[in-house]
Amino acid sequence: MNEPHAGLKLGQKAPDFEINAYDPVADDFRKVSLKAQTDAKRWTILFFYPADFTFV
Amino acid sequence: MGADIVTVSTDTEFVHLAWRKSEKELQSVRYLMGADPTGNLARAFGVYDEDTGLALRGTFIISPEGTVLNSEVNFYNLGRNVDELMRKFKANIYMARKTGEVCPSKWKDEGDKTLSPSARMVGKVHEALQG
Repeated sequence: MNEPHAGLKLGQKAPDFEINAYDPVADDFRKVSLKAQTDAKRWTILFFYPADFTFV
Repeated sequence: MGADIVTVSTDTEFVHLAWRKSEKELQSVRYLMGADPTGNLARAFGVYDEDTGLALRGTFIISPEGTVLNSEVNFYNLGRNVDELMRKFKANIYMARKTGEVCPSKWKDEGDKTLSPSARMVGKVHEALQG
């Protein structure tokens, strides 16, 4: 079952996360986390998509 | 003010690397490509499709304080408009600086008409937008 936006409220704190990522600029892997973003006082745009090697 | 775009799918970071390097359309890509193979991040943002194991096309703008300010979710078959995403993003940055102002639907960029809601504007939004 899909429940878009379940548990997510605008104007409230985003769910904490830390995930692995590929950084094309450094051509290396690194972690990205909400805490690192807020510690660095940076805006974050999360852009979800279904899958690599498809036709985004 | 700095911002980072993080794209996220349920692929691993290794697949992101391989895709970035093999697909010529992605040669200019500089944003971080996040890996969510468990789907936990997509689930936390309500965009995980349990039937397919994939993430729907969800976009979320998070402020430097960690607050979610925008959400937009499209089903698989509808792409996102980057101009509209940038409009929302710029509006958020503007309103973070000018906390008394709000950006109407036609606001596109700094210098465009904003509104400063007050008791005097009630019922007079049309006039305020003209002014």
